[in-house]
Amino acid sequence: MRKRRHNEPTESSTGIDLAPMLDFVTNLLIFFIITAVFVKESGLTVNRPTSFEQESKDDAKSIQIQILDNGEIWVDNRAVDARAVRANVERLSAVNPDAGVLILAQDKAPTGTLVEVVDQVHLGGIYNITFSTTQ
Amino acid sequence: MKSRRHAPESEETGIDLSPMLDFTVNLLIFFIITTSFIKEAGVTVFKPPAVTAVNKPSGNLLIAIRENGDIWMDRRRIDLRDVRTQIERLHIERPDDTVVIIADKASNAGAVAKVMDEVRLAGITDVSIAANPNGS
Repeated sequence: MRKRRHNEPTESSTGIDLAPMLDFVTNLLIFFIITAVFVKESGLTVNRPTSFEQESKDDAKSIQIQILDNGEIWVDNRAVDARAVRANVERLSAVNPDAGVLILAQDKAPTGTLVEVVDQVHLGGIYNITFSTTQ
Repeated sequence: MKSRRHAPESEETGIDLSPMLDFTVNLLIFFIITTSFIKEAGVTVFKPPAVTAVNKPSGNLLIAIRENGDIWMDRRRIDLRDVRTQIERLHIERPDDTVVIIADKASNAGAVAKVMDEVRLAGITDVSIAANPNGS
């Protein structure tokens, strides 16, 4: 040690000591690794009617799809299969091109059916979906 | 340089730390950028499949609804009436966050609607329902 200190002034050892900075950076790194959560959710966006919209949406302009408690889907006063929703939506939107879709689900209707219907309506080309529930 | 190489008696035996430092700082920057402080729901639910589901990279408040109607948020089971206050509290911290509701396939649509209403009352209008984009 003593020998080294005597030698030092002749050497070109003028660099900053990096060790404290390295400690700090490593701590910061560990913090961010721990707090990082790699969750990416995929989802479908649907609107909820406000109390004012509710009346105006109920007019004949929008395509109504009802989902009953037992999972039955009714479009245009007919019970349809979930896979037939797309065809029905395409047919009705051809008649009424700028119509949105109103999904009226009963309170205990399964969410799986709801998402299936939303998916089918998206496939039918309509993204303006309002979701409302009835008792 | 030349004079240094000619001096084997000088004790220059330390490892050169600068490449490691470069690497560590790069890793640090990567983690700072990718971290988004997502509030996880904390339960596993069976998400319904949907082909048209789109990725929601900004959806960072996750609310789970189990098939029995339990609502989970931030790794705790909470009451429906507490959803609004919880969302309001988190919304103040980061005003640009959005909500994803992870509802079980067998949960009631009414429960989803009630949670959506509470979230809207808390001031977040960008609400979506989680779905599995791979289909069934």
